[in-house]
Amino acid sequence: MILSRVADSLYWMGRYLERAENVTRLLLVTEELTTEVAGLDESLARAEWDELGAVLPGPSLPADASRSAHALAVAMTHALSIDPAHPGSLLFCLKRARDNARGVREALTIEVFVTLNDTFHELERRTRREMADPTLLRSALTDAHRGLLSTVGAIAHTLTRDAGWRFLRLGETLERVYRTAVILRVKLPALLAPEPKTDLALVYTRWRSLLRCLSSLENYRKTFGAHLEPADMLRFLLFDRHTPRSLRYGVGGVKDYLERIAPAGEASLPDRIVGKLHAELVYQGAEIVERGEVLSFLDHVLGELGRAHDALSASYFGA
Amino acid sequence: MKWTRTGGGFDEVFGAAGAPRDHYAPLLSVLEGFTREDVERRERLQKLALASQGITFTVYGEKDGLERIFPFDFVPRIIPPAEWKRIQDGLVQRITTLNLFLADLYHEQKCLKDGVLPAELVLSRREYKRELLGVMPPRKIFTHVVGTDIIRDDRGQYLVLEDNCRCPSGVSYVLENRTLLNRVFPEFFSAYPVRPIKDYPTLLLDTLLFAARRPGPSPTVVVLSPGVHNSAYFEHSFLAREMGVPLVEGRDLLVEGNRVLMRRTHGKQPVDVIYRRIDDDFLDPLTFRRDSLLGVPGLVNAYREGNVALANAPGAGVADDKSVYAYMPRLIKYYLDEEPLLPQVPTYLGRNREDLAYIAANLERLVVKTTGDAGGYGMLMGPFASAGERAAYLERVKQNPGNYIAQPLVELSTHPTHVDGTFEPRRIDLRPFILYGDRIRVLPGGLTRVALRPGSYVVNSSQGGGSKDTWVLAARDA
Repeated sequence: MILSRVADSLYWMGRYLERAENVTRLLLVTEELTTEVAGLDESLARAEWDELGAVLPGPSLPADASRSAHALAVAMTHALSIDPAHPGSLLFCLKRARDNARGVREALTIEVFVTLNDTFHELERRTRREMADPTLLRSALTDAHRGLLSTVGAIAHTLTRDAGWRFLRLGETLERVYRTAVILRVKLPALLAPEPKTDLALVYTRWRSLLRCLSSLENYRKTFGAHLEPADMLRFLLFDRHTPRSLRYGVGGVKDYLERIAPAGEASLPDRIVGKLHAELVYQGAEIVERGEVLSFLDHVLGELGRAHDALSASYFGA
Repeated sequence: MKWTRTGGGFDEVFGAAGAPRDHYAPLLSVLEGFTREDVERRERLQKLALASQGITFTVYGEKDGLERIFPFDFVPRIIPPAEWKRIQDGLVQRITTLNLFLADLYHEQKCLKDGVLPAELVLSRREYKRELLGVMPPRKIFTHVVGTDIIRDDRGQYLVLEDNCRCPSGVSYVLENRTLLNRVFPEFFSAYPVRPIKDYPTLLLDTLLFAARRPGPSPTVVVLSPGVHNSAYFEHSFLAREMGVPLVEGRDLLVEGNRVLMRRTHGKQPVDVIYRRIDDDFLDPLTFRRDSLLGVPGLVNAYREGNVALANAPGAGVADDKSVYAYMPRLIKYYLDEEPLLPQVPTYLGRNREDLAYIAANLERLVVKTTGDAGGYGMLMGPFASAGERAAYLERVKQNPGNYIAQPLVELSTHPTHVDGTFEPRRIDLRPFILYGDRIRVLPGGLTRVALRPGSYVVNSSQGGGSKDTWVLAARDA
C-alpha cells in the first residue's frame, strides 16, 4: 500500500489528465461545428457554446463577447484552452496533472513524467505566442491531444500495476464517466425536446456532434450502422457494455478499481455506492429509456458519483 | 574551435607552457573533430533533455524562478588516479575526525575540556543542539552523508574549503550529468577508463540500512523532503526513485507512542530510517522551531528513544560550522594523531581580537563569510567590493564579530568551458560525496561546479553557476 498523499496525487493526476483530454476534444468538436453552422443558424452556434460553458466550469466572459456567435467562439476558445487562470481550461488542467505528477515522480516512470512534462511545456510555450489565427490554436489543441494520448499510452505501457496505478486509473475512470454524464445531462434536453424540428439535418448534426464530443461516433456506427436513431444512441451512450465512453462501462471501471483497492474481504462505502449504481445501469437500462426517465436518471448518476468521490477521499486520502 | 588558454590561476587543462596536460590530450583531440555547428546542435539537444526530464532546481526569491535548469557544460573535468587517491584519503581522514568530534561533543566533551577548541565557540553555535547532549545515534554515526567542497589554488594544490555535514545536495546532478554527457557526446568516453558512479543510490541505501536500530532483513527507509517548493526537490525525488523507497513529507508522518509512522491508504506503517533533507531547525516543532510546518511533532523524542534513525543525525551541523573549520587541523591531530592529508584555507575568526584587527586592516584582500549561511548568501568578496561596501560590511562584522570568518581570496583553478563557440577558462570547484556506513566510501567523482560568468569566483547554482561531468580515472596497471 502507498502513502495517502501519493494516492491522492495520483488520483488527481488521473482526473486532470482525463479532464484535459475531454476539454481538448470538446473544444475541437464544438469549434468545428459552430464554425460550420454560424452562417446558417447563429442561435444554434451560440447554444453550443453556452452548453460547453455548462459542461465545463464556464468562464466569465467580457460583456462584448456575446455580441456575435463568432465573438463568443473566440472568447470561449481562448478561455477554455489557454487561459491559465480559468479552472476549466486545458492549460490549467494540464498544469494540475503535471504538478500532481511532479509531486510523486518516484511513483511514476520516467516515460510517463517526460511525456506529460513535454506536453505541458509545449502548450505553455505556444500560449506565449500570438494565437489570433484560429488554425494556430487548432493545431496547438491537436498537438496537446496527441501528447495526452501519448501520456496515457506511457501509463499503460510502463507503469507497474500496483496500488498507485490503481488510484491513477480510478481518477481517470471516474472523471471520464462523470464528464460523460454531465455532457449528456447538458445536451440531451435540447435534443429530446418534443417541439417541431424545422430542420432535420441540423438536428442530426447536433446528435452527431454529441457522439463526437464523447468520441463515440465511430464506435456507434460499428454497433448500429450509420443511421442515427435517438433511441439507439441513448442506449449506446448510457448502457452499452463495450464502448469505453458509456455510463455503464465507466461505472463498471470505477467499480473494478475500487474493489481492487479495497482491503481484502470488505465492501467499503465507496464500493457499495458504485456497486448499486452499476447494478441499475446493467439491469434497468431499458426501463429507464422506455419510461422517459433519462434526465432524472442522469441526475441520480451524477449525485451518486459525487458521493462515491467523497467516500473514497475520506476512506483513503485521510486528512 | 578556439581555446583561450590562460585564466590567471591554475588551469586544469593547459600547463604553464600552454600545452595540454597529458590526461586531457585525448579529449582535446576528439573535440577537434567537431565543428562549431556540431557542438551547438548537441548543446541544444542537451538543454531539451534537461527541460523535458524536469531536471531543475529552485531559486528562492524570484517570481518566475520556481523551476530552473541547472546549466551543464559538456567539457568534462578529469582527475587522474594519483590525485584522486590523495583527495580520497584526505576525505576519509576528515570524515572520521568530524564524526569522532561529534560523538565527543554530544557526550564527554573531552575536546573542550582539553582546550582543543574554545568551549564557548562551539556551544554558542545555533547548530549545536543542547537538547541532544547524551544521545548516541546507532553505530555511533552522526554524518552518514557528507559533501566536502574542495578547490585548487594557483599552484594546483587541492584545498578543503568546507565540509557539509547537514543535507549536502548535488549528487543527483553528478549522476544525471554522466547520463547527459553520455547522450550528447558519446565519443568522449572511448579514450578514458572512467570510474563508474551509478551505484551511488545502492550504496546510499546500504548506508541507511546500516543505520537502522531494528536489526532485521528489511527496515523501512524513507526520504523526508520539505516538498516540491524546496530548491533541491528534484534531488529528493530522484534519490527516492533510485533507491526504491517512499518519498515523504512531514505531513505524511506522525509519531505515536514514540514510534514514527507513515500515513498510508490502508493504515499506518512504522518507519525505521529517515534520510532527512530538512534542516534540524524544521525537523520537529516540539523540540526546535515551533513555527515549523515541514516537520513532524515528536520526531526528536522518537529518535532520542532509539525508535528511529535519522541521517544525518540532528545536531551534526555544528561540525561544518565555518569557525569550527578553522580548528580542523587540530582536531585531526587530537583524535587521530595524524597530520592533515588535505590542506585547507587559512581562516581568521572574528571572535579573536587579533584576527578581527587583521580582518579590519586587510579587508580588500579577504573573503568574509557569515558562519551559519550556505549557498554563497551573505558574503563579502573584499577585492571586488567598493570601499563603501567594505566599510558598511565591516560595521556589521563589528556588531557581531563571532558570526564572521575571513579567508584570503584563493585564485580558484579554471577549466575550459564552452561559451558561444569558443572554450574559455571559467573557475571551478569540486564537491565529492562521502558515505559513512559499515565503512567510509567516497564516490569516485563529485559535483564540479563552474562559475559561468567570466571572472566570477562564485560557483553556487543559486548565484548563476553551472556544472560539469567529473571523471575520476581508474588506475591502469603498468
